[in-house]
Amino acid sequence: MRHLFRREWTVLWHSPWQLALVSYIPLIGVLALWWLFSAGLPRQLPVAVVDLDNSQISRMLTRQLSANAVVAPRAYANEASAIDAMRKVEVYGLVILPYQLNKDLLTSKQPTIDIRYNSQFLLVGKLLSSQLQLSLAEGLTHIGEVNLLLKGANKATVDVSLTPISNQTTALFNRNNNYVGFLVPPILIALWQLLSMLVFVNSVNAELLPQGERNYLAKDFWAKVWVKILFYSPIMLIHGGFILLWLYHYLAMPIAGSLWLLVLAQMFMLMALWLIVLFIFMLMRDSARVVSFCTALFAPAFAFMGITFPVNDMPLLAKWWRLIMPSSHYIDSHVSVVSYGVNLPQVLLQISSYWGFLLLIPLLYVLGRHAQKIPPQVPVSKSISLGVK
Amino acid sequence: MNFWQLMVAECKAILADKAIVVTLFGGVLFYSVLYPLPYLHQVPTEQQIVVVDHDNSSLSRLVTRHADASAKIKVLANVNSIDQAQAWIDAGKAHGLLVIPADFRRNLLLGKGATLSYGGDASYFLIYSAIVEGLVSAGIDASKHVQMIGLLARGQNPELAQQAVNSIHINSVPAFNPSLGYTPYVVPGLFLLILHQTLLIGTGILGAGQWGKQGYWQQVRPVTLVLARLSVFMMIYALFSSFYLGACFYWYKVSVVASVIEVGLFMLPFLLATGSLGIYLSSLFRRRELPTQLYLLVSMPILFVAGFVWPIALIPQPLVVASQVIPAVPAIMGMLELNQLGAGWSAVLPKWLQLWGLFAIFVTMAIVAIARKQQDVNTPS
Repeated sequence: MRHLFRREWTVLWHSPWQLALVSYIPLIGVLALWWLFSAGLPRQLPVAVVDLDNSQISRMLTRQLSANAVVAPRAYANEASAIDAMRKVEVYGLVILPYQLNKDLLTSKQPTIDIRYNSQFLLVGKLLSSQLQLSLAEGLTHIGEVNLLLKGANKATVDVSLTPISNQTTALFNRNNNYVGFLVPPILIALWQLLSMLVFVNSVNAELLPQGERNYLAKDFWAKVWVKILFYSPIMLIHGGFILLWLYHYLAMPIAGSLWLLVLAQMFMLMALWLIVLFIFMLMRDSARVVSFCTALFAPAFAFMGITFPVNDMPLLAKWWRLIMPSSHYIDSHVSVVSYGVNLPQVLLQISSYWGFLLLIPLLYVLGRHAQKIPPQVPVSKSISLGVK
Repeated sequence: MNFWQLMVAECKAILADKAIVVTLFGGVLFYSVLYPLPYLHQVPTEQQIVVVDHDNSSLSRLVTRHADASAKIKVLANVNSIDQAQAWIDAGKAHGLLVIPADFRRNLLLGKGATLSYGGDASYFLIYSAIVEGLVSAGIDASKHVQMIGLLARGQNPELAQQAVNSIHINSVPAFNPSLGYTPYVVPGLFLLILHQTLLIGTGILGAGQWGKQGYWQQVRPVTLVLARLSVFMMIYALFSSFYLGACFYWYKVSVVASVIEVGLFMLPFLLATGSLGIYLSSLFRRRELPTQLYLLVSMPILFVAGFVWPIALIPQPLVVASQVIPAVPAIMGMLELNQLGAGWSAVLPKWLQLWGLFAIFVTMAIVAIARKQQDVNTPS
């Protein structure tokens, strides 16, 4: 057994790409992706304001907009130039304060304030839509207040008669709607899954014995696979742990549960990943095709996690497809531990959703037996390569 | 070997290589279905919430019914306490809650005002925004209802009361992607990235497989080889691009504004720059499995740095500047402006010229690199 470990280590040491995959590429990838989103909260998004009224009220509304941290109003003289700026993505939204806004308000004519937001950039658009309405509504209640006071209403009842029901909205588990807490963990998990997949694929690919048309496997293949699992799982778990430590210790993002539970969940995710990679490997037994197929399978993992777009609203086929990817199972545990602070029993219950992967084990055994039947007419002895290319 | 023979040889080399055929033809087809698959329903609807009704009055039930009537929300149950609601959320059965305080109706009728509390699971932003939008609009509706009744009770004329309640009309409309759908948001940028990545992989595998071996690629001048290879890949990618930007955009209901000629004119330098970058980078690979792996790893960062998922203004400046050498980055933004936002040709001209500039640089680098490769192989043999 020990010589197999030593052999694995030599193979790793002599393959610069594999070495990069387990050392600096994960670090660079994790840090770069985090850096990209490190702003966390969208702030100061440019919005075009076309003030056709230029009255006290319209200026007050503009000031109200600039008081909102998300919005950075920019004055445009007319609609045409504002629309132009919006098409060029110089601004993400457009507010038109109509001509005679003040007069219409004073004479109770129900003027219309037009808001357009760029929904091609859905994330920014949705945020701006709600924030612009919030700021304008806030400004408009001032006007209503003045109106009521002028009519001789009692100061104490003004607020209530303007907004009898007030709203109190709480963002549960991610209080300030921080995008680092929301987007970065699933992205990093998707990256980590890709890296782990590549490391393992490269490692098992080195065990193929080319014989004529097809590739075969040596008799001691399973021992080597066990060694690979024991060898690479801890290495990838260290990287997974680094992601967790970086996010929840160094950046101190809120976490309700225990990090150890997440490490446990990551371990099961890796096992499921190894199983599915082995299955594809056994099925294809061709290094380039295994890489292509695994790549095709795992590249869209992020889309299927259900963080950006909820799982309930996915079509049935997508719901099934996502179960093939270990990351979708893991991310459920991740959210439950980080947000809801669940304990070991619930995490174990979630882990049991991997049961489908167990069905691969008998299949692997059968395929393995098949792959080890090397055609007898060809001499085998020479071709046991170390996989060092 | 003349140019045509070389092009035929290139075509043969590409089609004979299973890995390239699978990645190019298989990958492009497979991804065109798989990537948008989770988003086919476009908008999250019927998000499950629980209601904590401490009031149990006619008005509180009205609010609950109004919330349930919203397309965005589905009221699962009426629970007794916030703790119970929390248990529902922790179990993942519900994603939000609505709390109606005790004496809600009484306070409103007395003119004291009341507060409705909403909570949404912000671990999932689309769910959160759907819940909050639905609940807030239900709350505002109830509020107006109460206001209206109050005004009418005080003997106000119904028409005037209506006006007093809605003194101003805010007309908030999404532009460019009117349905707020998820596929029109993701597909345009993502599909350009897929074209970019598969083209890089295709040229990468082809090159990595050839450099070590003797072959037709040594018998021609580097310029000719690069031009022939680019021409062949351009032909293949003209087909793919028409499929993606034509058929798929139509199928996924992406709004398309630009004319075919404009789109073609913009795609040309993008594909040329990507192809020549791919040929240059292929000279750095020795093993055929490497290009796929490397390009797979960089695809997510490229997607996010392109600026349509996360606004460019919020991405750290050094990353934005460094990413400008990747053809996909100016191409995705330029194409969105041209084809989805309708910015017009003059607006995307700088990006178009940037792509031509990238092409000029990469094609020179590719020619130099191939010349060096040819020397490397020729000298020892």
